[in-house]
Amino acid sequence: MSRGGSVSLRNIVKRHGSLTVLKGVDLDIRPGEFFALLGPSGSGKTTTLRILAGLESHDAGSVVLDGRDVTGSEPGERDVAMVFQSYALYPHMSVYENIAFPLRMVKTPNAEIDRAVRESASRVKIAHLLERRPGQLSGGQQQRCALARAIVRKPRLFLLDEPLSNLDAKLRLETRVELRKLQRALDVTAVYVTHDQEEAMTIADRLAVFMDGNIVQVGTPEEVFRRPVSIEVATFLGSPPMNLIPARLAGREAAIEGHRLQLESDYGAEREVLLGVQPSRIDIGAEGIPAQVDLVEHLGDSVIVDLALGATRVRAKLPERTRLAEGANVHLRFDASDVHLFDPQTRQRITA
Amino acid sequence: MRHTFARRFALAASAGMLLSVWGFPVLWALLTSFKTERDVLAYPPKVVFEPTLAAYRDVLFGASSIVPNLVSSIILSLGATFLTLLVAVPAGYALARLELPTKRASGFYVLATQMLPPVGLIIPYYLVLQKVGLLDTYVGLIVIYLTFSLPFAIWLLVSYFEDIPREMEEAALLDRAGRFRTLWYVILPQVRGGIAVTTVFIFLNAWNEFLFAVVLGGNRVRPVTVAMFNFISVEQTRWASLAAGAMIAMGPVMLLGLIAQKHIVKGLTVGAVKGGGRR
Repeated sequence: MSRGGSVSLRNIVKRHGSLTVLKGVDLDIRPGEFFALLGPSGSGKTTTLRILAGLESHDAGSVVLDGRDVTGSEPGERDVAMVFQSYALYPHMSVYENIAFPLRMVKTPNAEIDRAVRESASRVKIAHLLERRPGQLSGGQQQRCALARAIVRKPRLFLLDEPLSNLDAKLRLETRVELRKLQRALDVTAVYVTHDQEEAMTIADRLAVFMDGNIVQVGTPEEVFRRPVSIEVATFLGSPPMNLIPARLAGREAAIEGHRLQLESDYGAEREVLLGVQPSRIDIGAEGIPAQVDLVEHLGDSVIVDLALGATRVRAKLPERTRLAEGANVHLRFDASDVHLFDPQTRQRITA
Repeated sequence: MRHTFARRFALAASAGMLLSVWGFPVLWALLTSFKTERDVLAYPPKVVFEPTLAAYRDVLFGASSIVPNLVSSIILSLGATFLTLLVAVPAGYALARLELPTKRASGFYVLATQMLPPVGLIIPYYLVLQKVGLLDTYVGLIVIYLTFSLPFAIWLLVSYFEDIPREMEEAALLDRAGRFRTLWYVILPQVRGGIAVTTVFIFLNAWNEFLFAVVLGGNRVRPVTVAMFNFISVEQTRWASLAAGAMIAMGPVMLLGLIAQKHIVKGLTVGAVKGGGRR
């Protein structure tokens, strides 16, 4: 099977009346890549996907697929397939006809349609449901039917708009893995929109974080998670999100509530910063920054502890065996290598 | 249990009452159509009588046969229905999809056309048709019917089109169907019910129409509703023939009603409960 297409978005601007939804989005997606567009609702990720598909117009910029500028061309001319959040199956057609539809529209011979439909259906394990109507399928089966309809014509680009959000939690985890395998097997470029950071982290080769109509960071899940570029990105990722603790930074030292913390590099002149640390990187011990336990939440495999550190609330994710009484006085510890520093004014990451 | 029994009894009783109120005239006309003119006027009314097809023979093959009028009615009704759908289906689709600032206003316009008392329009319509030479023509009368049926049909169809999620046609566009085939293969099959309801409403309205037909029609264009009216005259009312004519004229209406019954009930409630498909 041929390798999927490449995607380039150049300075895409989209306005809805006086509201600017996309403020100049630049994006490069490599062939065969599983790429996630991640961001809170209203950040512009779905609009970007729809512009990519040709379902929505944009006010400036260009869309380039496989080196060809497709700005302004019809959705059908772009050789892209999409799985909608609502699946958008044709309710009056059988599963078979739903999957066959994209092929029928380009006058494929019947024998070939039949072969392709059966192959796609068995790939997503719905070969036994071909005679049913979409209304007679479960949510998971409908989702598979939508997938089969998208892969049947071997598009160069595969767009997925929150495809898992209508599935229950267990099915979502299973489908996530299968989707990933499917994309690998077909070797097709996939662009995946989600607001679920965990989903994006686990499924994507690379991702772009959208905030307020801009892409604020692009990278592998690990890069983005390890080095968030701003407070917004840092607090959007992780569950629970990163803690931000006011601190005074001077040289190689940060002071939190009077407690001194040695840092890995020299940051120069003294200033106020926000010190970020992931909940999972916090440890509780006999020494460190004094704090008080507010609340203990048991998650089964771990414990989330709410702590009061002066006026700041800090959450720590600890092993499930941790026994802490609410109201107890404890000490927090974390490695200097797990510390992120942000400027409270610009809200950007501070690098040494 | 008592409660539900009482409920069902009340329901059955009221349904029976309604049925008798609506059904009695039909039953009376049905019996009358098989009577001789003498039996019709017998007092007390005869429930048991010797049935005859004389009245049917009279209205079908007699001097005042209504067959040409039935043909007239069919041409008018089919013409009005066909032209209405031809315009209303694409118009309804467009109105459902386009974000027009006048959308709300157009809804009011539709209702306004249904509120206008038709009597008030007869004279202007007469004058207009006379000026353009369309009095007593099929085209003239059908155009007049369209002024009422079109807004109504569009208004009815818009709600059906709006119930179809936009993503459905976006999916079809991405599946390379193009605008026209998207409408034909994906959208229209899903509004079949709505089109059926609209067809029935428009056809029945045209079939039952009397007022405009009697004034704007004439010797050439005389639908069955007007023809039957001629059985009533100053000297004599031919009740049996009138009843037989009415029975024949009711035929297509009842047939259509039976065929489209399921769709009609759905159609009447479509505006009431919107599906989850809307965003």
